[in-house]
Amino acid sequence: MTASTLAPAEARQHSPRRHKRAWGFHLVMAPVSLLWIAPMVFVVFVAFRSFDDITSNGLGSLPHSFAFDGFVTVFSDGLAGGALLNSVIVTVFTVVFSLLLASWAAFALSRYEIPFRRGILLLMLAGNLLPPQILLIPVARITESLGISDTLFALIVVQVAFGLGFYTFVLHGFMRSIPAEIFEAARVDGAGEIRVYLRLVIPLTRPSLAALAALATTWIWNDLIWALTVLRTETKFPITAELLNIQGGFVSQWNVVAAGAIVAAIPTAVVFFIFQKQFVSGLTLGSSK
Amino acid sequence: MTATVGASNRARTAQRGVRSRRGSVRRVPPVIWAFLAIPLATELALVFWPAINSFYISLTKWNGAGAPEFIGFKNFQNLTTDPVFLQALVNNVFWVVGFGGASVVIGLLLAVALNRPRRGVGLYRSAIYLPMVFSLAVTGLFWRLLYQPNGAVNTVLGGIGLGAWERQWLADPATALVAVLVAAVWRQCGYIMVLYLAGLKGVDPTLEEAAAVDGANKWQRFWQIVMPQLRGVNAVVFAVTVIDSLRTFDIVWAMTRGGPYNSTQLLSTYMYQTSFTTVNLGYGSAIAVVIFLLAIVFIIGYLVRASRTED
Amino acid sequence: MATQTHVTRRTFLAGALAIGGVAALAGCVTGGSGGGSSSGSGAITLQSSLSDPAPKAALTKLVGEYKGGKVTLNTVAIEQFRAQLSTYLSSNNPPDVLTWYAGSVARDYASKGYLLDISDLWEGDGAAAHYSKALKTLSTDDKGRQIFMPTNYYWWGVFYFKDAFQKWGVKVPTTWDDFIALCDKLKSMGVNPLANGIGSTAWMASGWFDILDLRVNGAQFHRELLAGKHSFDSAEVKKVMKYYAQLVPYFDPDMTSFAWQDAVTPLVQGKDAMYLTGAFISQNITSNADNLDFFSVPVIDKSIPTAEEAPTDGYFASSKTKNKAATKKFLSYLASSKSQQEFIEASKSSNLPTSPDVDTSKFSPLVQKGLKMLNDTKEITQFFNRDSSDALQTTADTALTKFLANPGDVDQILKDWQAAAQKVWNS
Repeated sequence: MTASTLAPAEARQHSPRRHKRAWGFHLVMAPVSLLWIAPMVFVVFVAFRSFDDITSNGLGSLPHSFAFDGFVTVFSDGLAGGALLNSVIVTVFTVVFSLLLASWAAFALSRYEIPFRRGILLLMLAGNLLPPQILLIPVARITESLGISDTLFALIVVQVAFGLGFYTFVLHGFMRSIPAEIFEAARVDGAGEIRVYLRLVIPLTRPSLAALAALATTWIWNDLIWALTVLRTETKFPITAELLNIQGGFVSQWNVVAAGAIVAAIPTAVVFFIFQKQFVSGLTLGSSK
Repeated sequence: MTATVGASNRARTAQRGVRSRRGSVRRVPPVIWAFLAIPLATELALVFWPAINSFYISLTKWNGAGAPEFIGFKNFQNLTTDPVFLQALVNNVFWVVGFGGASVVIGLLLAVALNRPRRGVGLYRSAIYLPMVFSLAVTGLFWRLLYQPNGAVNTVLGGIGLGAWERQWLADPATALVAVLVAAVWRQCGYIMVLYLAGLKGVDPTLEEAAAVDGANKWQRFWQIVMPQLRGVNAVVFAVTVIDSLRTFDIVWAMTRGGPYNSTQLLSTYMYQTSFTTVNLGYGSAIAVVIFLLAIVFIIGYLVRASRTED
Repeated sequence: MATQTHVTRRTFLAGALAIGGVAALAGCVTGGSGGGSSSGSGAITLQSSLSDPAPKAALTKLVGEYKGGKVTLNTVAIEQFRAQLSTYLSSNNPPDVLTWYAGSVARDYASKGYLLDISDLWEGDGAAAHYSKALKTLSTDDKGRQIFMPTNYYWWGVFYFKDAFQKWGVKVPTTWDDFIALCDKLKSMGVNPLANGIGSTAWMASGWFDILDLRVNGAQFHRELLAGKHSFDSAEVKKVMKYYAQLVPYFDPDMTSFAWQDAVTPLVQGKDAMYLTGAFISQNITSNADNLDFFSVPVIDKSIPTAEEAPTDGYFASSKTKNKAATKKFLSYLASSKSQQEFIEASKSSNLPTSPDVDTSKFSPLVQKGLKMLNDTKEITQFFNRDSSDALQTTADTALTKFLANPGDVDQILKDWQAAAQKVWNS
């Protein structure tokens, strides 16, 4: 889709009116974008200022110093025990298993006349809607009685279970939009369920799986409440829980807190920019052919 | 192609008699049952079972130790006269409308503005989405920095001659909830924009061109041609917005913990406070049940409508 | 086709297992199930809420130097630690030793049987045998058993910088009227007389409430008030609030946005003059520490016995520990005079040791002064939440922050406070 969509006539010639509109567009969007990134720039500034600069010149002033103190403190005191690695492990496994199980459920519910399938879908989505706080104590007791409390495995299992409803709901929507004819054709060729799933459903939903994977990665990476519920050994904490310790420990040292927040945010930002394309294209599956 | 498949399909349907009107399979093979059963069982075990327990806990008086004491609906009865709960409820209504409304309107506007590929669009889009990669707690932290008495917001206001507008944004009950809302919307807009951009990509351009030829103006074209085609995205946006706004917790907790004196208290923060600070798990669970019922009303209402228009 | 059946069967089996798992879960949420396997390794876990850098480092050092067996230290920020404490203690495999403070919460858990009886450490040649009687009472549960091991305590006072007072030409006040006059004078000089941080640490507002109640009504009344024997809208409390209201104009206007740690900065910079807080403030004073001093809030009513706040910190152990002997041995190590001294020094706090065997003569003059004040005072209280409960603290936070913003609404605020407190006592 190009600019011709909305203004077919104008697209063919470089009229002065079009130039004026481009100017107007940038005149509005540039300040809006700047406004959007301003808070982040501010936090980056704070992270690279020294504590003395912040206390003597105030938080809101422009930097009078350039220091790595905040980051040094974060890496020396804050991130003991491989918090970043823990986050990577939990995020990768949770995302993979969430999408695997959700694609199974979505496939079953979208393509087969399972009794009450709409009800089941609704029920699964409802599970995702529960305020997580309400599940904390029972979940803590359950993981414990299964003998898996305080393990990354438990954290993965719990997060997979909690996210499933939403992923299934979204994938179900996409899978329903795959034209039935494609399945008919496969069946004519004698393909069984597993083959249809592996050879048809997965490839066709790949863009939306990628999009969900990008979303889920940010969600799982940013989770805090489940980590705190299931884990209690500091060496197993993911970065978010460690960040909480940093916040608790360096309350008025804003440069340290800002540096910690940046360290926690960078990995998701990287994943996000790599997946940016999938993000946008994946979600179109629902509304295009 | 379609016609051929359709024909052979009819032939096979006649043969097997298993195909329904909409192309789904009537006879469910065992492997498909397994496909459904495994995820469903996982969710039942680790979401619904705990939830049922919490529903039960909401009917008890329990401090986490010893056996819960069954007291029937007394917790719910007490809620109706609890001034903090009522304030949290009002705040939450404001929050759902404000958070949902602002992020959807701004997200959709931005998506429409940044839909067409032109110079700079990629950069603008990236700037808008970037906040969504931060966790809510981190976002709250960012904005707490901004709202500090000598933080960026007041400094900027002073710098542009609006010194009179300087406030203790998070400490003043008149501004605290809105200040938190701004932070939450800032993060959410990028997400909503992504969803709408995706939807707009799928909008059939020929329909719009035809309408333009027929003399429909931009506004009419948007509401009558584009919007109906965004139905699928709207469903997702609506679901996401309601889910997010009803369980908003981290950001409020990180910024104000529900204060000053309950002016930013939402149902979820009040629930957390009663459950964990005051360890009144029965009462806290009762609040969670209320949150759940509110959410389910929204979602069921929407799904019913969505499925009706679909059939 | 063969592969497909194979997969089908396998997937089915997995499904059956998952469903079986669900069934196995039944009845293990609200009730405790049988304990896990006991490990005889002697390794124990210490769950700590000391996430401030210096105390955390101090405890890490102490644990590292322990020779009596393997100890794993887990640090969780206090907010979360508090939220999870009941889960920790009621779990089947709880941490063996936990950091906590003396007071009603510990007693409450003890009455549920969650805490290890460590009475033997308080007698004979036990580590706490020679601790003061007051500390023993504080560590005793309703059944007369000792369930807490206090290792340090600290005092509350009005902290200020001597050089700043000199610069302003002001003196430490000795009477309440002096104090108000001092505030007035400082304010006229453009200095905020009183620092505080009641933003994310709203409980700081209780510091002044407690001390004023101690000055106006005395420790006895204060304890009874927090136990629900008096009303928050009684004449006595209204009188306390009259004194509190006198202070309202003198607070740093930014206090509502600050945490207690943030409020230290303007004090150091000389923008604020005085700060009623705990001795833990010295952790956050990195420069000019030699000039830090404090005074006790002046007497208001001479007929009331003197009283100060001195919260006590320490450890308790889980009754479900699999290694009772090792746990007690480790507690004894933490309580030893050597460990206490090391911890206090390394944590850079001005905390005081509970063990009478610690040689305090080498402690800083500030600490000596704190020690003397506590030794001279007639009555000691802990702090609002420690003397009541975290639930009652929440009601105080709401009432007192609201009062500080709208001191004129005091009657309505006290009425609402009483109603909220009544709910806590009834639950």
